[in-house]
Amino acid sequence: MKAFQYVTASNTERALQLCGKKDKFLAGGTDLLGEIKDYVSQPGRLVNIKKLPGTREIVETEDGWKLGANVTIAEIASHAGLQKNLPGVAEAAALVGSPQIRNMGTLAGNLAQHSRCWYYRHRDVQCLKNGGARCYAREAENKYHSLFSGNPCISPVVSNLAVILATLNASVNVQRGKKILNLKMGEFYMNAWFNPYAHHSLQSADLILHIEIPVRARPCVYMQVSEKTDFDWALVSCAAAGELKGNTLQNVRVALGAISPLVHEVEEANEFLENKEIDRRTANMAAEIILREAVPMEHNGYKVPMARAIIHRTLLKLAGKNFDEKIS
Amino acid sequence: MPSWPQNPKYLGKSSQRVDGPVKVTGAARYSSDIHNNGWLYGMILRSKWANAKIHSIDLSAALNSPGIKAAIKVREDEFIAHFYGQELAAVAGTNKQACLDALALIKVDATELPHVVDEKTAVNPDSVRVFPDFPNIGDPRVRENGEVDQAFAQATTIVEGHYTTQIQMHHCLETHGNTAHQQGDTLTVWASTQGVFSVRDGLAGNLEIPQNQVRVISDFMGGGFGSKFGPGVEGILASRLTRQTGLPVKLMLPRYDEAKAVGYRPSSFQQIRMGADADGKIIAFEMNAFGSAGYASGPSTAGGGGRAGFPAPYIYDIPNTRVRQAGVALNSGSARAFRAPGHPQASFGMESIMDEMALKLKMDPLDFRLKNDTHDSTPAEIRRKEWKLAAERFGWKKKYRSPRSSPGIIKTGIGLAGGTWGGGGRGTQAECQINADGSVELRCGTQDLGTGTRTLMAMIAAEIFGLEPGQVTARLGDTLFPPSGGSGGSTTAASVSPAIHNVCHNALKELREMSGVENPTGDNWREACRKIGIQPLIAQGRWVEGLSSRGVGGVQMAEVTVDTETGVVKIKKIVCVQDCGLVVNQLTCESQAYGGVIMGIGYALFEERIMDPLSVVVLNPNFETYKLPGAQDMPEIDITLLDMPERGVIGVGEPVTIPTAAAIANAVANALGVRIPSIPITPDKVLAALGEVPNKPAASLAGSWGNFHKKLHWDEIQPAQAPEEGH
Repeated sequence: MKAFQYVTASNTERALQLCGKKDKFLAGGTDLLGEIKDYVSQPGRLVNIKKLPGTREIVETEDGWKLGANVTIAEIASHAGLQKNLPGVAEAAALVGSPQIRNMGTLAGNLAQHSRCWYYRHRDVQCLKNGGARCYAREAENKYHSLFSGNPCISPVVSNLAVILATLNASVNVQRGKKILNLKMGEFYMNAWFNPYAHHSLQSADLILHIEIPVRARPCVYMQVSEKTDFDWALVSCAAAGELKGNTLQNVRVALGAISPLVHEVEEANEFLENKEIDRRTANMAAEIILREAVPMEHNGYKVPMARAIIHRTLLKLAGKNFDEKIS
Repeated sequence: MPSWPQNPKYLGKSSQRVDGPVKVTGAARYSSDIHNNGWLYGMILRSKWANAKIHSIDLSAALNSPGIKAAIKVREDEFIAHFYGQELAAVAGTNKQACLDALALIKVDATELPHVVDEKTAVNPDSVRVFPDFPNIGDPRVRENGEVDQAFAQATTIVEGHYTTQIQMHHCLETHGNTAHQQGDTLTVWASTQGVFSVRDGLAGNLEIPQNQVRVISDFMGGGFGSKFGPGVEGILASRLTRQTGLPVKLMLPRYDEAKAVGYRPSSFQQIRMGADADGKIIAFEMNAFGSAGYASGPSTAGGGGRAGFPAPYIYDIPNTRVRQAGVALNSGSARAFRAPGHPQASFGMESIMDEMALKLKMDPLDFRLKNDTHDSTPAEIRRKEWKLAAERFGWKKKYRSPRSSPGIIKTGIGLAGGTWGGGGRGTQAECQINADGSVELRCGTQDLGTGTRTLMAMIAAEIFGLEPGQVTARLGDTLFPPSGGSGGSTTAASVSPAIHNVCHNALKELREMSGVENPTGDNWREACRKIGIQPLIAQGRWVEGLSSRGVGGVQMAEVTVDTETGVVKIKKIVCVQDCGLVVNQLTCESQAYGGVIMGIGYALFEERIMDPLSVVVLNPNFETYKLPGAQDMPEIDITLLDMPERGVIGVGEPVTIPTAAAIANAVANALGVRIPSIPITPDKVLAALGEVPNKPAASLAGSWGNFHKKLHWDEIQPAQAPEEGH
């Protein structure tokens, strides 16, 4: 790694002052330190924000939840209130990385983490996302890459929490200079859709303060498929939220991760599912809508049937139905 | 003729590791732990090109970099660096960051050359050549037995298949490397190695210094699996750096570098045809196969053993066989010996076609094995018992259904496979020192790879002397001790145990004479030892005939579930039945079997080196992207060891990893009714095989390269030598 300065900010104002264009905020460090050691990122200064007041709390409010930026993934996974009222949030957290990663990694870091593309992270490769000339993945090893992209880079968003938070219409509270921004998940990642160099829509000195979930309790589910059972990234992840009325779902929202630079949401599918009874047929029809525009690459076509399966299972689980092994 | 005790107190039972406490408390000092203040770190600059002519290397800026004490080139002349990761230069500095910074300052003047890094491209006749004067794939080695074409004409059932196995990395938890210190005329090297003497000889040869001026120590080491016999380029560089600076230099490879130049299991591409008669007896076998061991197979520093060939036909008794095998050169680091070199590849291809044939013959795969595992050899004889024993433990007859019988989306399947290994070993010498206070010290220049050699030495001495293993201090991993061979080929136990037996009996004889106590063992030990006096009793011993042998069989059965919608395979159970002669320590022997099965699971489902033709780098050089199975991926593993004391000690490290992947692949095929002919069996391949993946026909998994065999015109090549005997 390159030498850097290290300072600890005691409040938000100071943190913003200390963080220049070439500097980085440091919280859990599970993503950033890897980038620095691999020479992917070479910040001049690290501004430690772990001590910022009020960023370590999970608070139930009048109309929802407020989760501090520095809440750890492990704290979310084991929070009794979230487990009870927003189970999908705790499930998504529990499936992040390993126990060590969950203990160190923070909520804001999980959302703002950079691409895991193996070209982007490689010390001896300079890919498009890292300022090089070409997206290698597009032409070569793209097994873990996107089915959708609005730009030449095809590395997908890999945050588990972004996917479940999207279905709950959560927003990210960001301080940009003197302004406070409230970014929905769509906005939070929008730049990554258009801009091959972007991982999300934040600018260099934007500071995430907390995340707001505008609902206190709602049935919600998160599932993922990975190659390894533990300590592995999702090949495809899926979350769904909605209320069950009789046999039908209301206010349904479905979102997918690891197949696009954005959390992949298709409004038409949500509308289609409204007031529908969830069974294999309706779930598959929703999946068809969600995956209609998919553009598989040479090695990631498997993500299409895998996504279909996981959409189906997530919706069934949300509807309180068991995934029936005996249907063939 | 010497013999093992008839009613042993320790042998064949479980003894805790004598070094367990120091390992779990962290007190054990592995080679990578050897460091003191003021010692230097060493680091290596590697080629970033897949193939390049290196004209010159300018070290001046690196030498002037803060904290740098020395910088050296691997070679002085102009040369071709044949692969990404090849060593070019090295620095020694006061801290790791100083070394990293200095490496970035080294200027390499090079001309990039055309390259080829994947087998399917390299076998094309018009491919870029790794060595301009030779085709990448040479004439195959041909072995022929009987009348193959005639046998195929007589066969009533014929099956054909294409099978591929990937490049698997060793990824020992302790990386390759060493700390070297030149003091006066002695070079002391703490190496992470499977052979202290082979490292010593390799260093002496390369540095052109006498062997008696090199001492190699390996007290504890964190895994080698065949990749750590010689000093390696990293060992030679560390020694050169300490000789230049006069300070100790610690050079352990970073994990990132482990993926480049320190070996792997070669790939294989196997085209197999097999014919059987109406009775279900295989009468004809033909195989064309190639694989890659990199740009060259096993340079002198690697300890060799890494070529791409493998035994074929594997284990089964077939009268008419024709096998053509070749290696393919690539611009990639070299393969090295890897736990049971060749056998897991062999087992995967053979057991896959065996199940295809059983299916076509409408025979239970187990019955088909029993019908054809008929070689007149000890391993086959033992295996015939093991098939039946494993079937009982597993409940094979109750569980077996024809393929895709399991209802539902998540399907269950079972599979089996067998293996064989030589093992055995000889040549070890040992020393036993008995002190007047009754304490015992054994010294042997072997090394303990984590397999329990230290404990084994202490147990055997305790058995013969009538003591507790804790009363014996076993010392190893030092070239100052009597010599032993490298720990490879599952030979350590069979080579060391007889030497310990011999030295202990020699010591006992001397103690008897010295003390006048007729039986100085057990309760009489202290009294007898008291008569030794000031100068301890020291006895020498060596490996003797009659206490060890070679040749084992082994079988494994696997039960899996396959999710037909996500493609995810989960293993429910593995049954492993294995012989290894006399089981010295039940506990560590079982540990070997667990480890072998786990490694086989990684080979079957997860592990694969991805060498990217576009960027020419190893794309997955870390444990995030090189997928090793974790604890939650582990099934129930049921180990049965056949204890056969009458055969003596044999060794077990290798055979236990051979059949695992093949058994799992057969279980997946049994679950799905369609075979994934290529390992690792990852979800994308399962979904492709099920026809679920758009634009990816299932046939492309293994079929597309099959035509290359035709282009190679191997049919025109006649066998040059007499066939080898079967297994």
